[in-house]
Amino acid sequence: MMAFVVLAASIAALFGASVAIGDEPIAIAEIARVLLGEGDPVASFIVEEVRLPRAILAVLVGAALGTGGAIAQAVMRNPLAEPGILGINGGAALAALIVIVEIESPPARLLPLAAFAGALITAAAIYALAWNDGTSSLRIILVGLGLNALAGAGVGFISAFGDVTTVQQAQVWLAGSLYRADWETVRVLAVWLVLPVVGVLLAARELDVLTLGADAARALGQRVEPTSAAMILAMALISAAAVAAAGLIGFVGLIAPHLARRIGGRRSRHVLPLAALSGAALVLAADLVGRLALSPANLPAGIVTTLIGAPFFALLLWRRRDAV
Amino acid sequence: MSTLASRRLVLLGLAVALCVSAAWSLTVGTIALPLQTIVAAIIDFDGSREHLIAATVRFPRLLAGLIAGSAFAVAGAIMQAVTNNPLASPGILGINAGAALAIVVALSVVDGGAAGVYVWCAFAGAAAAAIVVYAVGSAGRGGATPLKLALAGAILSAFVGSLTTAILIFDTASLDVVRVWSIGSVEGRSLATIMAIAPYGLVGLAGALLLRGQIATLSLGPEIAAQLGQNLAVWRLAAAAIVVLLAGGAVALTGPIGFVGLFVPHAARLIVGTDYRWIIPASALGGAFVVVFCDALLRAVLPDRDVPVGIAMALIGAPFFIHLARSRTARRPL
Repeated sequence: MMAFVVLAASIAALFGASVAIGDEPIAIAEIARVLLGEGDPVASFIVEEVRLPRAILAVLVGAALGTGGAIAQAVMRNPLAEPGILGINGGAALAALIVIVEIESPPARLLPLAAFAGALITAAAIYALAWNDGTSSLRIILVGLGLNALAGAGVGFISAFGDVTTVQQAQVWLAGSLYRADWETVRVLAVWLVLPVVGVLLAARELDVLTLGADAARALGQRVEPTSAAMILAMALISAAAVAAAGLIGFVGLIAPHLARRIGGRRSRHVLPLAALSGAALVLAADLVGRLALSPANLPAGIVTTLIGAPFFALLLWRRRDAV
Repeated sequence: MSTLASRRLVLLGLAVALCVSAAWSLTVGTIALPLQTIVAAIIDFDGSREHLIAATVRFPRLLAGLIAGSAFAVAGAIMQAVTNNPLASPGILGINAGAALAIVVALSVVDGGAAGVYVWCAFAGAAAAAIVVYAVGSAGRGGATPLKLALAGAILSAFVGSLTTAILIFDTASLDVVRVWSIGSVEGRSLATIMAIAPYGLVGLAGALLLRGQIATLSLGPEIAAQLGQNLAVWRLAAAAIVVLLAGGAVALTGPIGFVGLFVPHAARLIVGTDYRWIIPASALGGAFVVVFCDALLRAVLPDRDVPVGIAMALIGAPFFIHLARSRTARRPL
């Protein structure tokens, strides 16, 4: 319980900082006045149209990435599984990039659809290709690495031939940035997330059973294949929505579930919400760091998370050096 | 497939295929040049438009493909031999990415330096990446298992890729140069650049061919190699130096052409057997052939779009990697 409070408090602090700090600093009192509808017009515009949607988007994207990572690690029974490493985010990004570069001014609603199709195809391909008299998490990771490389080649192909200016914008989006946040993006992401997140939370017990391994799960009366398929579908939905909104913000899906397990034990009922909160805090912090580190330039949040997350992953690999 | 004569025949066949595709690659392009014109441009250069194209566009492109193709493939073969790891290659283990980052840093810090400077940056980047990946991937009881090395390579590539993107976001002038280069392309290399980098690649190739016996001994595994009286530390270090020379030089020349280093040595092993004394020359010929042939094929099929050959390699190589991961994990744990 304590952990929930601490996490929520740090999210609140980061959220406040994210709205207050920027090229034009706005005092907390002024923010409060704006929210009550009494602030001056410039501050109102900055808070309501720029910083607030950006901070809310950071929270939603982080929560989505954290939940997606927690589901992946439970279903794959491997603490190194992450939608990013497995190529699921890469597939989503490739599909979204095709829409961005090849279609002129695509509607905001099309992006999550394309990303979802890309994520789902990749997830299905991983599962199908890694299936060889049952799946092994080793094969899943290696197949995922291969598909990730394939998606990367696709991204390279599109970027090499697209119009330079479109590609440059897409590059920033691909690097995982929240700079294009607006209320429309926030709404689309929220709508996409509600159903799968609530569904997975309700089925948290099934996820725990799945974690015991296929045989044990079957002995406990679970229909293993449909359950894991449904969980992977939910994971693809959640990851794709996050990718469509903010591009590739790597390693949050890896780190957030680890934090969550360290705080709240192993049971998915606790891990899922804690992973969502940790993810939200991580992305808010990464965005803030990216905005401040080289101010006035904006470093995409995805670059910050990767620069922190890759060494973290190396540390995990080092710690588990006798297991893999 | 194991007798000396048939292995020699295979190498000869590869050399012939390489020559044919090299000749073909000189003729195809936006403007088709007949072979007579190419020959005339070599022996009797008259400064005409066709001869200029042959001398300044087609030849450098062919040379870049030849050198980079063999360098990546031989580097991959050596890595697979020394680490006893079927998934090892300069691309998978992040060595190409390290070299690429070093070059992008150099490009954005010193504008318009000579190719000779960039190649040393590439060596430094490749060496640093090799050390980091091996240190992270070889810790623990199982030693450097393929999975640990592949994961360590993947995260190093992600890390380095992010740094590269961060630099490019602030340096938009470099982006246009780098975006095609960073996927691996043999297009638009000047003869001066190639001449500056080629010596390093050739030294690396010569070293690999000279040491092919020692590398073959290393591939038998540390226990047997030690029993045969081999000084493991010395020859491993020599092999690593050759890999850095080959991969770093090739990245400086063409950018990271991924997967050539992975699938060419495997194809070579299928054809000439498990002896690295034969796999290394077969990889050198095969790598050059694959890159030159694919580049020519792309130009013949899509003449108005200059597709970087690195993309074609990834499209062939990634499914191959998946196949390898599937078949190698079915029977024994990696």
